[in-house]
Amino acid sequence: MNRQYFLDRFHVTVPQLELLTGTALSQGGDYADLYFEYSTYKDLLLRDNEVSSGSFHIDYGVGIRVLKEDRTGYAYSENTEMPAMTSAAKAAAQIALSGSGKAAVQYGKPASIKPHAGFYPVEKAWRDSSMSGFIPVLKKLEQLIYAKERRTVKVVARLSWSESEILMFNSSGELTCDSRPMGSLVVSAVFSENGKNENKTSSRSFRMGAEMITDALLEEMSDEAVSGIDARFRAIRPKGGKMPVVMGAGASGILLHEAMGHSFEADFNRKGQSVFAGMIGRKICSEPISIVDDGTIAGNRGSCNYDDEGIRGQKTYMVRDGVLNSYLHDRISAAWYGLEPTGNGRRESFRFNPIPRMRATYMENGNASREDLIASVKKGIYVDEFSNGQVKIGEGDFTFYVKSGFLIENGVLTAPVKDINIIGNGPQALMDIVGVGNDLKIDNGTWTCGKDQSVPVSCGIPSVLVRNLTVGGNQ
Amino acid sequence: MKNGKDTANLISETEKSLAVGCMEAALRHGARQVRVSLNKSVMDTCSMLNGKLDKVAHSADRSVFLYIFADDRYGTFSTNMLDRDELERFAAQAVDSVKILAKDPFRRLPGKERTEKNALTGTELGLYDENYNIMSSRKRVDIAENECIYGKGGCVCGESRLISEECEYSDSVDDNFTADSDGFAGRHTEASFGICSEMTVEGKDGRKYSGYWWDSSPFLDGLRRGYCSETALTKALAQTGPERHKGGAFNMVVDSSVSSRLISPVISALNSASIQQESSFLKESLGEKMFSEGLSLIDAARTPGKPGSRLFDTEGVATKDMDVIRDGCVKTYFTNTYMSLKMGIPPTIEGISRPVLLPFGNDNGQQVFGAAEIMHECGTGIYVTGFNGGNCNPTTGNFSYGIEGFAFRNGKITHPVREMVITGNMLTLWSRLIHAGNDARACTRWQIPSLSFEKVDFSG
Repeated sequence: MNRQYFLDRFHVTVPQLELLTGTALSQGGDYADLYFEYSTYKDLLLRDNEVSSGSFHIDYGVGIRVLKEDRTGYAYSENTEMPAMTSAAKAAAQIALSGSGKAAVQYGKPASIKPHAGFYPVEKAWRDSSMSGFIPVLKKLEQLIYAKERRTVKVVARLSWSESEILMFNSSGELTCDSRPMGSLVVSAVFSENGKNENKTSSRSFRMGAEMITDALLEEMSDEAVSGIDARFRAIRPKGGKMPVVMGAGASGILLHEAMGHSFEADFNRKGQSVFAGMIGRKICSEPISIVDDGTIAGNRGSCNYDDEGIRGQKTYMVRDGVLNSYLHDRISAAWYGLEPTGNGRRESFRFNPIPRMRATYMENGNASREDLIASVKKGIYVDEFSNGQVKIGEGDFTFYVKSGFLIENGVLTAPVKDINIIGNGPQALMDIVGVGNDLKIDNGTWTCGKDQSVPVSCGIPSVLVRNLTVGGNQ
Repeated sequence: MKNGKDTANLISETEKSLAVGCMEAALRHGARQVRVSLNKSVMDTCSMLNGKLDKVAHSADRSVFLYIFADDRYGTFSTNMLDRDELERFAAQAVDSVKILAKDPFRRLPGKERTEKNALTGTELGLYDENYNIMSSRKRVDIAENECIYGKGGCVCGESRLISEECEYSDSVDDNFTADSDGFAGRHTEASFGICSEMTVEGKDGRKYSGYWWDSSPFLDGLRRGYCSETALTKALAQTGPERHKGGAFNMVVDSSVSSRLISPVISALNSASIQQESSFLKESLGEKMFSEGLSLIDAARTPGKPGSRLFDTEGVATKDMDVIRDGCVKTYFTNTYMSLKMGIPPTIEGISRPVLLPFGNDNGQQVFGAAEIMHECGTGIYVTGFNGGNCNPTTGNFSYGIEGFAFRNGKITHPVREMVITGNMLTLWSRLIHAGNDARACTRWQIPSLSFEKVDFSG
């Protein structure tokens, strides 16, 4: 990265950055960092057969953080002139005034990850493309859906792209720069049959350039948007209760995100709140299971060249061979545990302080086939399309919403089901995973995690069989 | 509460002039009509962990939004770089961007006769408290510290063990100035003071349980202090030792702290944009009886001194107090200027401001008619005190939500329940409304009381 380009972007010099971190530490703080951001976001919206709405947004500013022991002072400024930044640094510095007198904590420990070429492949920068050039993309996607499904009555499609230029500097003198692209395409269609309406959505999102838009992508998304519509119109609410659940490969990774991933975030564990607190090194599920949080998948929505604390992107085994191996750390929790950060210190924008967050969370392959897992269930359900999920960290109770799936009766998929919520307990669900497929798939949809702040993530999983979950339904 | 002309002053005259200048620049560059909205806010937060200061944060935001109508085309744009030259370039780029879009003849500003004329200072609704000006870092820390009970005498956990207390005090001021090229200018200024607390305990079964509570007010003196942590602890302890509860169709009582979750999909379905996009389970419902006679919902948009009140919506259209649903009959859709022209129906307001669900079923005329009284009336069922995930399909109204709460019998709570899910359809659910209480929480914008429904499907 061209450091000078970034310094010029924010109209600052290295001596000024040093002055600012010095001001931030003036009340006795242990560590200070600066996070400069210049982001542009653009989008185009197709609705009622025309691309008649569009927007762009610019966001610019610097966030200043001071750490004292485990405590955080945070302030930001939307301009990068020295008086404004100095004022923010002084506001953040206040946290140190109520120190306990303990020895300074070392937050600035550099990570020992090898340099890499970067995880955001860009062949065609978004900024080099004209907005008007993307209008035919949306129209073609719409046409494909109408052509593939005669019951289509409405199509709404949005293409959005953003580019963020980030400069980070900390009181250890580390200066880090990153350029982060993101492109997202989402299409929703409404289908009508005999006066009944059903809808489906398909989305893709990547940290890459405009080359992500290809004919193949539009074919894939239009196929996905119309697939299973017959089943959707015929779908029933199953009889609710506890039953085995086969989770289809890909989007079922929401199970890992909600049921386990959040509980592995180190801030919850440092405070003793997580159901997995104090369990590092313990066996928490059967041996073939390994669960990863990975910031190194090229082009993935959750990937990070660096996290938002300047730590290099990396791959972290949370569970390895059934044993709880690592929490997900930012600098604060890593210092608290005496470990190196895992590159999970992320934030929504310069307006927020970083906290431990997931990136791309997935389970590694097992040995079973999807068909074998389904065949092993006498009475249960198979689920493959989801929307939102949620977890209660302390209890470990999680839920996720199933948009579509099938009943399993005597080892065979039968009636389609839809609109049901599944609820379970994270540790128990992990223990209840009795079969792992060999068909790992990363879901490249527009997943966004909303733990206090919104950050882009992704998830994935091979097909898995969970012995017992509570499925909502008729009584 | 104090109400004066020159209290808030978050947005300066210079900044207003920058916003208006940006609008004029867009007109110069070829826009036919323009609306500009300048938002400015300040927020301070003081967080405590286990009785000790954990985080202080100060935020100050300002941004300009431009809504451009050019050659029957439309786009929205924003920036927080408020330098005059930067705004000139921004406006020019915005107009150029709009010109590449397809024509949409229904896009235009609202008629002048519909816009608000009396939102001049931003303080007309009395939502700005001058006490905000006397707040200091020390005062904020003091309030947050006094809220904590960790390690104090009031923190009694019985057989459970306290794991953590997270408590936060925050205050903020939001100031908005909106103007359009047809002469509308309006201002809305609102302060907010809030406290929240989350307590986590470990029960004697070794499991962890958490409880959360909050309070907020536009006025510092209206903020109820010294009870959030205690209430959160009580809630956490009440959940210990949950039992599995067999599924079935039961009466459901929903606490006023979470009942807005159930009316939210109904309000969303009354949005004309959803109806026009065939994504509403309430299409063709205007004037029709769709719900129980007990459901009456009004928009009390212009109530002085109450959270959520506002004189104008995002288009600058004057709000009014109005029926949304009366005796189960749909009385209005939320229709902005664009949807009005596109669908050929009268415009109303862009969205609800301050929904108020009216009491129902209090046949004994009880003065306080909250969850306890409603459980007494219902006899047996499940008392829902929290929702854990779930969703409602906006097209069909089918829903499924995880719940937490308690089983009750003969009007009395018997035990906490866990891992339960409710499933149904919004139209059916609201046709089975039995009671609506009068205990909506004063601190919330959505005034939704405790509710009860019959024959709700629970899975467990």
